[in-house]
Amino acid sequence: MIELKNIFKWVNSGGNRVFLLKAINLSIKEGEFISIMGPSGSGKSTLLNVIGMLDEFNEGEYQFLDQPVHLLKEKQKAQFYKTHIGFVFQAYHLIDELTVYENIETPLLYQNVKSSERQAIVADILDRFNIVGKKDLFPAQLSGGQQQLVGVARALVAKPKLILADEPTGNLNTKQGEEIMQLFKQLNQEDGVTIIQATHSEKNAAYGSKIINLLDGRIDNK
Amino acid sequence: MKNKVFSFINILGLTIGITACMMIFLFIMNEFNFDKFHTQGKNIYRVMRGYDVSKERVPYLSGPYATALLNDFPTEIKTAVRIMVSNDLISFGNTSFNEKKAYHADSDFFSLFSFPLLRGNASTVLKEPGSVVLTKTTAKKYFGTIDNAMGKVVEMDKHRQLKVTGIAEDVPSNSHLNFDLVIPLSNYYKEPWFNVWINNNNFTYVLLDEHVSKAQLEKHFPEFMNKYMGKDMARMGAHFDLALTPLSDIYFEPSSGFDNVKHGDKTVVYIFLSIAVLILLIACINFMNLSTIRAVERSKEVGLRKVLGAKRNHLVWQFIGESILLTLIACIFSIGLMQIFMPFYNQLLGYTLTVSWNALPLYLFLIGVIIVVGFLAGSYPAFVLSVFSPIESLKGKFRLGKGGQLFRQALVVVQFSISVLLIIGTITIMNQMNYVKNKQLGYDKEQTVIVPIDNNEFSDHMQAFKNELQSKSNVLSLSFMSGEPGGFFDIGTFEAEGQRDTWRARTEFTDFEFVKTLGLKIIAGRDFSSQYATDTTGAVLINRTAAANLGFTPEQAIGKGIKNTDRDRLSRKIVGVVEDFNFLSLKENMDPLVISPGTGRNIAMIKLIPGNIQSSVATIKNAYSKVAPAYPIEYSFLDQKFDELYKTDIRQQKILSVFSGLAIFIASLGLFGLASFAAAKRTKEIGVRKVLGSSIQNIVMLLSKDLLKPILIATLIAIPVGYFAMHSWLQNFAYRIPMYWWIFVLAAAITFGIALITVSFKAVKAATVNPVKSLRTE
Repeated sequence: MIELKNIFKWVNSGGNRVFLLKAINLSIKEGEFISIMGPSGSGKSTLLNVIGMLDEFNEGEYQFLDQPVHLLKEKQKAQFYKTHIGFVFQAYHLIDELTVYENIETPLLYQNVKSSERQAIVADILDRFNIVGKKDLFPAQLSGGQQQLVGVARALVAKPKLILADEPTGNLNTKQGEEIMQLFKQLNQEDGVTIIQATHSEKNAAYGSKIINLLDGRIDNK
Repeated sequence: MKNKVFSFINILGLTIGITACMMIFLFIMNEFNFDKFHTQGKNIYRVMRGYDVSKERVPYLSGPYATALLNDFPTEIKTAVRIMVSNDLISFGNTSFNEKKAYHADSDFFSLFSFPLLRGNASTVLKEPGSVVLTKTTAKKYFGTIDNAMGKVVEMDKHRQLKVTGIAEDVPSNSHLNFDLVIPLSNYYKEPWFNVWINNNNFTYVLLDEHVSKAQLEKHFPEFMNKYMGKDMARMGAHFDLALTPLSDIYFEPSSGFDNVKHGDKTVVYIFLSIAVLILLIACINFMNLSTIRAVERSKEVGLRKVLGAKRNHLVWQFIGESILLTLIACIFSIGLMQIFMPFYNQLLGYTLTVSWNALPLYLFLIGVIIVVGFLAGSYPAFVLSVFSPIESLKGKFRLGKGGQLFRQALVVVQFSISVLLIIGTITIMNQMNYVKNKQLGYDKEQTVIVPIDNNEFSDHMQAFKNELQSKSNVLSLSFMSGEPGGFFDIGTFEAEGQRDTWRARTEFTDFEFVKTLGLKIIAGRDFSSQYATDTTGAVLINRTAAANLGFTPEQAIGKGIKNTDRDRLSRKIVGVVEDFNFLSLKENMDPLVISPGTGRNIAMIKLIPGNIQSSVATIKNAYSKVAPAYPIEYSFLDQKFDELYKTDIRQQKILSVFSGLAIFIASLGLFGLASFAAAKRTKEIGVRKVLGSSIQNIVMLLSKDLLKPILIATLIAIPVGYFAMHSWLQNFAYRIPMYWWIFVLAAAITFGIALITVSFKAVKAATVNPVKSLRTE
């Protein structure tokens, strides 16, 4: 599903090139559960952003579902990622002014889904995650674990093929973190959603089927 | 938002607001300062004569009134001064000028009023009939210097010698009386017309004894009028009364065709005052809003300072101090800006404001602004910020509460309501002026020249002038009149067939060419004609409204009798009815008009063939100079009367446009600041939405919606207020446009459009930021 060939990404800082990603070659099949590990500054988030088409790279090729992403225009890219990829963030990034229901609904609005359909889909997901009773609450009224739950629900609502999670349990305590990881496992095994997560924690990384180590922007194969 | 840009916007908005406010303040100070320089002013009154209970009193009295008043009330009235405003030809050697502001006054003029004399003594300067006092500028006009002028002899109207006995300071702009020279009225004491009680051509001012109140004296007036005018009033079937207006109230009396002094309009002054307050309000609101926002951005700095040991008081005063400094800078810039724009402002107003920089009120105003705005704007963020915990602010967790948001939005609503209101006003006035300019007036105003002819030389040779011009091929028609459309139409008293009481109507005294020259339409009967020998003494024309007023249809009016009782008492018959035409300004209703053949000695109206106006005017000049060589010709075009008649309104329109533009500019400036803040605040949210698939359009609409909601509310508020205000203003005009609905829509659209552009600027910028940047949590 994902083919990264010789991806390089750098920034120019005062005449020198600082590499964020160096010679990344990666091949990911549908249904895999990948964990990307590495210390701070190793480029995990950058790699995730590149895969998610949120960020550009300077050299190399990227094929997603057999489409050459590097040749797509802005609008086409946006269309592509919003229909196929869901994001889960470390800091949840819920919209504070919207209720749980509205937060989960938002991706559907941007895909021009009809009102009655939206209602059905969101109701379904609320049910599945057991948060129906919380649908009219605001993020400020929820615990960290509950907020991340909503974040994951939001990422799933458009039925993406791929979920990219950047340190999803970083702001959660042990118990909450476990719950989220169990959820991911379930999604991957039962619904066949491909998951790529970036994480510090060895414990979390173990949930995946494959671990990729990054060091200074390079894949470390030791 | 960058520091520099913010400060610039803040100071700019406040400066413009303060400058506009100051200039209006100056104007208002000027308006309320009229005639305050007369030392005896408290006890000076102008005598007003009422002639019709439904109309305003007029200041015109005849000569005998003053003498009789002094005679009958020796203890109450200490001095009485009459002033006759006149048009005189003054010549010295080869220099001649038609002086339009010549005052003929009693010898106590300079003792009663405080018009300082640069040369000559107030008590003696008008003693001799053969003297004249010139103002400084007038003296220089004829003689170069004022010392050169003293003692010289000038000639008035080619027959009277006058010696220059004094030079007066130029009349300041804040005086309702305005003259270029003063000639003793004693020159006319022996003239027969001067002592006729019903020849009302003077102003009469009296100085009351300190202990006498106006009401006390007015009580005796009905008796006084009966004694002297009883017989005349009975004969004319009229009723006159007298009243006194204190000197300080004269300026704000309504101006009318029957009052040849400067008048102000209190409504205008109050409107300007409101505008000043509104603009200042907008600017101050901006300042406060932007300062508050800026304070939030500095919350990190504040938190840090607190951690480093700053005390709460310290911080509060730091913010207030900075705020006051900014306001002070804005005030200084304002003063500079005002200096630069003073000449344009004077031009806009139509006269030079007497700006006394020593005026205490002005400085009080500025200090007031600095304290109120600087203090207020500075204290809100100061107190808010100084309260919260430093840790919160360092973490960037400080947010302005929802309450603050609502307040800010309310302020925006106020700002834009004001802007929409001003725009509605401007568009309405523009429309009305346009209507007035283009309305069919019922007479033909193209290619028509007006030449004033009220001088003695001309009146001796009127017929020669007429004959010469009528023989020329480029002259279509010529008529002598007492009043041209837009000019002066006296009100006469008549006895009319079918009317029990005396009937009043506007009068026009003219010749047989009147209807032809103006292109009027005869709707019943016939025009004057030389074929009918009796027309000169026995015929009149009336307008449609006059006929209706008398209770006739135009056809019925033909042949009815009518007598002008205060003029010649000849029995005349109505021979024709003309269609109504707007001979008065469109502010007046259509009055009944009686056109009589008589001595129209004021104006010659000459209708020319189309094309080559230049050579036709030359022909007229030529003919005139043959007939009245001593008097310089002045001419104007009938179609330019509009600019003259509606001068004040056109000026008001210009001023309103300028201030509307300013108001909306300042409000938009504020909106821009708010938009920047909103965009900055929602950076993260925008990033999230973009990741979730939002297009740029969606984001722009999202941001704009919240910012433009207050604008919508503002529009809804402003429209009814605007409707009410403009409806009142339009009542000034008897002929007016209806309140078109599209004016309100247009005003709303303009405001909305400007707001939209302002907001989308920032919204688009925010929407195009890479979400990766916005969502960095490291």
